Amino acid sequence: MKALLLPDLLLVLSAFATLGLDLFMPRDSKAPFHLAWAGALAVFVVLLFLPYDQHAVFWGGYEASGRGLMYKQLFALSAAFTILLSGSYFQSGNGRQPLAYQGEFCAIILLATFGMFTVVSATDLLTLLLGMELATIPLYALCAFRKGCPLASEASTKYIIMGSLSTAVAVFGYSFLYGCAGSLRFDAVLAYATQHPTSPLLLLGVLLLLAAAGFKLTLFPFHMWAPDVYEGAPAPVTAFLSVSSKATAIAFLAVLVNGPLAPLHQQLQPAFLLLAAITMTVGNLGALKQRNLLRFMAYSSIAQAGYIVLAFAGQGAMAQTTIFYYLLVYAAANYATFFIIAVIGKSRSEEIETLQGLGRQNPGLAAVLMLAMFSLAGIPPLAGFTGKFMLFATAAQAGFYGMVLFAALNSTVSLYYYLLLIKEAYITKPASPMPALAMSPIQRASLIPLTGAMIMLGLLPSVSTAIRNILLG
Amino acid sequence: MTLANSLLLSSILFCIGIYGVLTRRQLIGMLLSIEIILNGANINFIAFAHFRAADPTAGAIFPIFVMAISAAEMALALAIIIAMHRQKNSKLDIQQLRRLNG
Repeated sequence: MKALLLPDLLLVLSAFATLGLDLFMPRDSKAPFHLAWAGALAVFVVLLFLPYDQHAVFWGGYEASGRGLMYKQLFALSAAFTILLSGSYFQSGNGRQPLAYQGEFCAIILLATFGMFTVVSATDLLTLLLGMELATIPLYALCAFRKGCPLASEASTKYIIMGSLSTAVAVFGYSFLYGCAGSLRFDAVLAYATQHPTSPLLLLGVLLLLAAAGFKLTLFPFHMWAPDVYEGAPAPVTAFLSVSSKATAIAFLAVLVNGPLAPLHQQLQPAFLLLAAITMTVGNLGALKQRNLLRFMAYSSIAQAGYIVLAFAGQGAMAQTTIFYYLLVYAAANYATFFIIAVIGKSRSEEIETLQGLGRQNPGLAAVLMLAMFSLAGIPPLAGFTGKFMLFATAAQAGFYGMVLFAALNSTVSLYYYLLLIKEAYITKPASPMPALAMSPIQRASLIPLTGAMIMLGLLPSVSTAIRNILLG
Repeated sequence: MTLANSLLLSSILFCIGIYGVLTRRQLIGMLLSIEIILNGANINFIAFAHFRAADPTAGAIFPIFVMAISAAEMALALAIIIAMHRQKNSKLDIQQLRRLNG
């Protein structure tokens, strides 16, 4: 099945076409931007038409399977939305200097997405490492994209130091896995882990890999960089970090935990539970006192990462379905929020106070904000509720009832700060009249499918069934 | 030189690197410490490939990829650090990275 490689090739092609077009067009041309988002959407459309029950391995280390294609859909859509979101930031910087070099920005997003494609296609440790790096190194550059802005360079410095450290730790972990299995291939690692599930060298390697994944996933105690980087980076990059980069880390964990490290699941369970419990608490408590919207989203996404890791305590098709479904739900609500931040931030600062009077001024936008916050908090009948229900059901099925109770309590805490935003938008009266809001056609056109996804994903049970069928292959 | 000796050497390098990252205040010093950790991992790969691997070629090739990756990372890190240095125009001390916090 050569066709299974088509989306990956198309993605790389559109990245280079964007760069090439950027060379020949005048500096302020919009053509590379339109080519880039059309390319990412085309990759998504191609992915929809591929057979999901097929399986093919290319060059011994690059695999296309139903699970991989499913994650690729998410990555392609996320890239398209990030590029669409970035459009307005090249005209006005939302309180900071406007971004420049639009063609390169879009091409870097597409290239980072190719790295994410590689992560879900890996069948050996080397491909996995290369995919992780291809997905991460472009993000350092994206964070520093406002060259003259002190906040951006501080954020990217913190990000790259922490990121390189986590890469170094991951490479150390890979070396122990290789030392145990004697080969880089996943099946060799799986064979070794089945025979010696308690080998200390193997467990040391897994621990180091878990630490590296924890950094990308902003798990406690590796979450410290996230709020600073989310605030300092340009907002579209923050959106990309909070959805695509996080989904990559989850895909990385899912590939390892359901593939070569499956026999170690018993030993890893307590680690996942502990990480989930502390991470969601830290995220929720941190979000309570935030006033900056980007920083607020950082802590919210830390808490959401904690919920997702909870599902790793379960095993099998149910846990995998839950994880992917929750990622979809989380992505839709997050992008909707970031589009709203982009609209509001255009004429105001990106603080929570600037939401005041939104319900009167622009009822449609305020309603979308309310839906997004309710979805993130997990209120029925929105998608966030179904997602959280499935997460908690997975943990309950594995027998961790105490943990479910703890997560539910945490979810209640999170309700407070999500409702705080809605209160600002609907109840608090602004001290002085707020400047008018202008929405571009692109922003309007992007918010409609995101809002639809937030509602429909929760109402259609067929979505999770479809995911489950693909995973069972 | 045995496998145990090589692993001991790489663990020492790992600890030196982690200690360096935690205690250095200079950004360049932190990057160098990270390089030390990566080199420790490379020694691990070579040692495993030499002493016990069923597939020694893979272990010998892995460090080459690691070097390429770390070169790319360091090039970008230096570019970012230079951009920061131009704005702050001072020593590359991490203590000045405190505008973003909370």
